[in-house]
Amino acid sequence: MEVARTSQDRSQAADAAKGGVSQEIKTHFRVCRFIIETGVKLGMRSMPVSTACALYHKFFKTASLEVYEPYLVAMSSIYLAGKVEEQHLRTRDIINVCHRFFRPGTEPMELDGKFWELRDSVVQCELLILRQLNFQVAFEHPHKYLLHYLVSVRNLVNRHAWARAPIAETAWALLKDCYHGSICVRHPPQHLALAVLYLAVQSYGLEMPSGELEWWQALCDDISGKEIEDIMSELLKLYDMEAKCM
Amino acid sequence: MKFGRGAEKETEMDELPYVKSRSVSSLPCSELGDGSYGETPQAHWFHTLQVRRLRVHRGRSNSDPLGGKSFQQEFQWNTGLQFGTATSYLNLEKLGEGTYATVYKGISRINGHLVALKVIRTKTEEGVPFTAIREASLLKGLKHANIVLLHDIIHTRESLTFVFEYVQTDLAQYLTQHPGGLNPYNVRIFMFQLVRGLSYIHGHRILHRDLKPQNLLISYLGELKLADFGLARSKSIPCQTYSAEVVTLWYRPPDVLLGSTDYSTALDIWGAGCIFIEMLQGAPAFPGVADVFEQLQKIWAVLGVPTEENWPGVSQLPNYKPEWFLPCKPKQFRDVWKRLAQLPYKTEDLAMQMLLAIPRERISAQDALQHPYFNTLPTPLLQLRDTVSVFKVPGVRLEAEARDIFSPTRRIKSSLVPLAKCW
Repeated sequence: MEVARTSQDRSQAADAAKGGVSQEIKTHFRVCRFIIETGVKLGMRSMPVSTACALYHKFFKTASLEVYEPYLVAMSSIYLAGKVEEQHLRTRDIINVCHRFFRPGTEPMELDGKFWELRDSVVQCELLILRQLNFQVAFEHPHKYLLHYLVSVRNLVNRHAWARAPIAETAWALLKDCYHGSICVRHPPQHLALAVLYLAVQSYGLEMPSGELEWWQALCDDISGKEIEDIMSELLKLYDMEAKCM
Repeated sequence: MKFGRGAEKETEMDELPYVKSRSVSSLPCSELGDGSYGETPQAHWFHTLQVRRLRVHRGRSNSDPLGGKSFQQEFQWNTGLQFGTATSYLNLEKLGEGTYATVYKGISRINGHLVALKVIRTKTEEGVPFTAIREASLLKGLKHANIVLLHDIIHTRESLTFVFEYVQTDLAQYLTQHPGGLNPYNVRIFMFQLVRGLSYIHGHRILHRDLKPQNLLISYLGELKLADFGLARSKSIPCQTYSAEVVTLWYRPPDVLLGSTDYSTALDIWGAGCIFIEMLQGAPAFPGVADVFEQLQKIWAVLGVPTEENWPGVSQLPNYKPEWFLPCKPKQFRDVWKRLAQLPYKTEDLAMQMLLAIPRERISAQDALQHPYFNTLPTPLLQLRDTVSVFKVPGVRLEAEARDIFSPTRRIKSSLVPLAKCW
């Protein structure tokens, strides 16, 4: 069922091999959007969804799009993430939801040979991901750091200014969007959390207290201003891409 | 059944899954012998799978070193073999069977070390069991003398094999072999290692969640290692609620029995406290049957029935029953568990601090290491690097157990020897 939908991605992947890297990134962007949407439909909490995206990105860090079908890897990532984060999902639910994504408005798949084959593929691919990642599938996500940073920052700034600007919501949304690209697995969780908070604070022009240290140095002491800039610009590129490829 | 150098070609990891491995699945195991005691050792016993000789070793007291015998030296190990391939290990006998895995004793053909092979069936509808995934992913990040070491992972088409270091026995068997309570000196050494292991995993934000004597492996020297991380999980702040069905009932703290799901490291501390009492007393601290309420009654009989005054919030917990307001006063631990009365007060004090009903009041593993109970141990123990065993410190060694049913002075017929697991 994926073949029809992803032939476009495949040809793009082939293009990518010839020259442009961006086609590959676009494919990953689309597949991650698929993971996140599927996660919502399956009622997954944000940690399992984040883990699923991280698994997907880690897998394709070393594997090639020409060899592995990205949507199958995505389905198995969702399945595996459910096990890792203790929100168990049934393969059948995952397959049905994905089927509806690829063929909107159609009936669920018949329980015939094709269905069982697909299920076996999802289960086999799970093992493939485990092997490729060498069983290192428990990740530390930036969300908890963001939560702690938010509490600290709230105490640093003017109460009224804080109430006017939806900093927490914005930072949280930015963080979720990080998972569309491989930045989510390329930077330490503390740095990601700080960068999205920094971006949110900048966007609303929130005035931060100044002193000997920058405010963010008080939260995380092993990051430089340059690194924050880098993560932010990568994140902004992702938003730029959304317009181009969705 | 001999194997020689180069008899098996080394196999690349990628080709391997489709080769049904000889060493993992096709060798007969364990049914060969029924333990004829007192045979003379053979130099190349592992060539011919002399399982019966291993039984002899196992039948002896665990506080005895394994005879100090070195199994090899003359044998040339196949240095061409690699980690990650099934042909690099030879399995010797079945040690036990779990819900999703079978454990074999094996030997590494790379370096001659004994290993425990946990063979997990993956040809199921659900793929790799989630407990196996968690066990592997957590253990990969843990390197500590009191945590079982995961050497290697092997993938084949039908199964997944985790290669662990081989540890001779476990605390459950040690307790069976030394009935009536252990030597208090040894209890202190075991307890220190248990708390040390817990302090390490809690420091890595991991809960074990399934502490029980069967999951504490004991080497012949007396090294204690936490094992079976299938139910363990990384704990992160802020805590989410976890699935409620975890710890074996006997070692489950009252807050979890009452249905609380926001448990934390105090969960493992309660389990360790129960094991502490069990080692001293020789019998489980709170042996309930299968029922949560009976288990709670056993605990209330010692700690007293909790009230909203002495445990604020207790009445909000899902399994709380107001009819517990029957009089059930707290008792002195020394009156319940007689061995405590014969020991200095600090023993009882540590037990009390570990077995507090209110989870946040229980002592942490980190603090427990500093408890006066451990004062009599040599001080360098607290400065050991993570991967160094406590037995490396001069003066730390197990003492003989008073009631060693295998000791030469109290010879029992070998048929009475409990073989709790197949050796």
